Amino acid sequence: MAQSHLKAVGEILAKHGILVAFILFMIAFALLNPRFINSDNLLGVVRSSAILGVMAIGVTFVVVSGNLDLSVGSMMSFSTIVVLDLHDKLGPLLGIPAMFAMTMALGALIGFLVGYLKLNSLIVTLGMLSAIHGLTLTYSGGKNMDIADKDGTWFGFFGQGELLGVPVPILMFALLAAGLTLVLSKTPFGRKVYAVGGNGVAATFSGIPRARIVFYCYLISSFCVAMAGLIQASRSLGSQNTVGQGLELQVLAAVILGGASLLGGSGTIFKTVIGVLILGFIQNGLLLVGLEFYVQYIVTWVIIILAVWLDIAAKRGQLWSPIA
Amino acid sequence: MKNTNLAKRLQDSAIWIFIALELAFFGIAGEFLSLSDGNFLAPDNMLLLIKQTVPLGIIALGMTIIMINGNIDLSVGPIFALCAIVMLDSMTWPIFAGLGDGVIVIAWALAILVGVVLGAINGFIVWKTGVDAFIVTLGSMLGYRGLVFLYNGEQPTYHLNWTLVDIAESAPLGIPLPILIFAGCILFTWWLTKRTVHGRNAFAIGDNRTAAVNAGIRVGPHMVWNYVLIGLLVAISSATFYSASGSVNPNDGMLYELWIITAVVLGGTKLTGGRGSIIGTVGGVIAIQLMRKGLGHIGADTAMVNLVIGSILIVVLYLDRQLNRKGEEELNS
Amino acid sequence: MNFRKTLVTTTALASFAMVGAAAAADYTIGITQNNVGVDSYQTTYEKAFIAAAEANDKVDAVVLDAGGDVARQIAQMEDLIQQNVDAIIIWPTNGQAVIPAVRKAHNAGIPVIVTNSNIAEEGFDFVRSFSGPDNVTQGARSAEIMCDKFKEMGIENEAQVVQISGQPGYTTAIERAGGFEDRLPEVCPNVTLVETQPGDWNREKSQQVMEAFLVKYDDIDGVYSGDDNMGVGALNAAKAADRAGDIIFVGATNFAVGYEAMGRGEYWGSIYQSPVDDAEAALQTAIDVLDGKDIPFLNYFDTPKITQDNMSEFDKPVF
Repeated sequence: MAQSHLKAVGEILAKHGILVAFILFMIAFALLNPRFINSDNLLGVVRSSAILGVMAIGVTFVVVSGNLDLSVGSMMSFSTIVVLDLHDKLGPLLGIPAMFAMTMALGALIGFLVGYLKLNSLIVTLGMLSAIHGLTLTYSGGKNMDIADKDGTWFGFFGQGELLGVPVPILMFALLAAGLTLVLSKTPFGRKVYAVGGNGVAATFSGIPRARIVFYCYLISSFCVAMAGLIQASRSLGSQNTVGQGLELQVLAAVILGGASLLGGSGTIFKTVIGVLILGFIQNGLLLVGLEFYVQYIVTWVIIILAVWLDIAAKRGQLWSPIA
Repeated sequence: MKNTNLAKRLQDSAIWIFIALELAFFGIAGEFLSLSDGNFLAPDNMLLLIKQTVPLGIIALGMTIIMINGNIDLSVGPIFALCAIVMLDSMTWPIFAGLGDGVIVIAWALAILVGVVLGAINGFIVWKTGVDAFIVTLGSMLGYRGLVFLYNGEQPTYHLNWTLVDIAESAPLGIPLPILIFAGCILFTWWLTKRTVHGRNAFAIGDNRTAAVNAGIRVGPHMVWNYVLIGLLVAISSATFYSASGSVNPNDGMLYELWIITAVVLGGTKLTGGRGSIIGTVGGVIAIQLMRKGLGHIGADTAMVNLVIGSILIVVLYLDRQLNRKGEEELNS
Repeated sequence: MNFRKTLVTTTALASFAMVGAAAAADYTIGITQNNVGVDSYQTTYEKAFIAAAEANDKVDAVVLDAGGDVARQIAQMEDLIQQNVDAIIIWPTNGQAVIPAVRKAHNAGIPVIVTNSNIAEEGFDFVRSFSGPDNVTQGARSAEIMCDKFKEMGIENEAQVVQISGQPGYTTAIERAGGFEDRLPEVCPNVTLVETQPGDWNREKSQQVMEAFLVKYDDIDGVYSGDDNMGVGALNAAKAADRAGDIIFVGATNFAVGYEAMGRGEYWGSIYQSPVDDAEAALQTAIDVLDGKDIPFLNYFDTPKITQDNMSEFDKPVF
């Protein structure tokens, strides 16, 4: 009884911990450079974090279900290249759904391999990272993809447009976050995702179709990737084949920062969003303070370890690991 | 029981069957497709192949033990670069100016020191904080890369010493020195996993950590030693490679963790820990280098190489699953 | 095992289709490229090289790609030496690390031609010729383009410039930045270069870097980017912040997107550099070496300035 009490307190602490850290950061950076809290800058950071954020939301599903997705970066390159190409070939109205279909087909393939064939997600998505990169290069012939008539298209709306004074990428990020928060926390499906990630064996015994849940998680992840690709493509109306390279690690870092356990069963969309914003503001803040770009690597390292450590420490009720 | 044995034997030799298939394929396809006059299977070419596996191969040996132990190390890439930076840069430090070429030995020692220290940092964080090794080393993969850049900004670190290059390129008894070093590392890690208490403990902890703790194994220090070991091996690999090239880019070693983990898994080591073999890993790295070299030999382009390597990884994982269906639950991370 | 066989067979068929049968020729020339697929320049270069080699009956080409990895490039050098090709063309991933491998080829009697981005001076003894653009001069020319424009606008005594450089550690990036930084104070001593950040040859990364610059500095008059791909990323950021009109954008390696932006009047100037010229020059240099012709050690092909004023004299880049 006492223990579960302690655990509850710990969980609350952990939840607030990340928020406290976030607020401390903002204050520190604002003191170092007042421009940091200038509303243009704040909005700018959120806007440029939107792509990472959209992907991180999808990956949260995968991580909560107890798996990993390292293929999102190279999949994002794929969807960006494909939608730019199809924009000129089919027109945006057909091209966008076609790109979503193609990207989600890749997600379905991964979902099948990890869910139904029960292959290890780390290796499957590592393999897909490489294979999808090859696919993208084959598709584009290795060339940069650009929309021919940049002034005559409304396609830029998703990346550059504004609606009611809010940049569209932020709006899409917010809507997706809100929608998928509902799915993850308020629906039976969401509860099953937690159950599968929390204890796969028990979930199977209690009649939850583990394979199908995992499959859907990857499908959601690939949907989010397609969305990110759309924003990316629309933002610059042209792209190189490696646009998403390395994003998988940043996405993962954001999800971990948000406190989702890689063992599955925990994590929320809200906390992931906080994780994304922290990364975005660190990057922006360090640039504004005039530190070299690589300092942010070191800062991110320290923050990730500290965040996860304190989270775990709060849960187990002691700072140092009990391992002898 | 017999069935399990057969499956296990198939499993252990799967990677070698795979290598044989690759050799046959590239040997035959090369006759038709390659523009080179040389035979792909010529002994010289095979020796070269093994030499080219050395940088990744030495690190993969350490990764095997880490993974048998149930952990992982994503930070090997930046450690690889940082060891080389210190090694090359230290040769120009004024305090060593009087040593002539004797500085080479000191430079090597410093490289090894760097590898061991960075490995130990990873190990201690994993031990003391109880944070999952995946997260710890994902973090230090970023952090150590930051240190690499901190050392020399964005500039390459560069020191060309022909004596050093000549040593690295020498071939005692007709075998290139890197291969001899690789062989030494293989022997050592093989001995460590097969013949020592430390090796037995690595399997035990990877198989069932709680049981290992109950059996009185000190899991924490054990893990730290393994990270020190992989740091040492990364340093050896780095010293071997960069002695011959003399210059490091701050981006060097990126994605190495990906190739190395792939090789180790291809070699039959389980990601959950508890099973794996040094010899299998050697097969794994050779299989990957053979694939790269062979695809280049028959003229495949970058896109094809990426596609094929990615697909093969998944197919091998599938076959591996088929070969030992024991209803194990897949692990997380 | 069936799976593997199928895969292997498929690969074989695909490769047959791709490469076709090898024919006998006078010269076999091997090339190891830096990183195909990272940008259109390198991809176009590779295609142009293959096309040029196919059009020439005297030549068979072995085309390899190092994927940006030094270790892989050194391995490819060794492979080419092993295959005993007649000449090796190398696009270095690192201007210094490949020197020992180049020496090895030299010692094996195989002439080495460096293309696009030169190796460090210590290696010159082992190289027959360098063929490519003069990146230092390119950086200097970009500085001149920018300075001339500032003078025209009358702000040469107060202008502030930011720089977005290429991938850290790459020779081309270092040389261009060096050329720009050395030349700018010579031609426009009162213009200040306030900050440099790498854009990694990546448009998206450059866009983010520029977004931060825009917040940090109220007054930016010029942006120099290590290539147009990054320059267009910076331009996009400035357009989103409604500040593109106040800023002079100058790049290098004129990409199609840069050319178009110049046509729209948003981008001021760049350096015209064709990957097709680059590839053909490299191949021709190799052939000349093998033919025993006398060729200069530094074989620069010209890379002229291109601005909105003279862009009509140039074809739109194909990449």
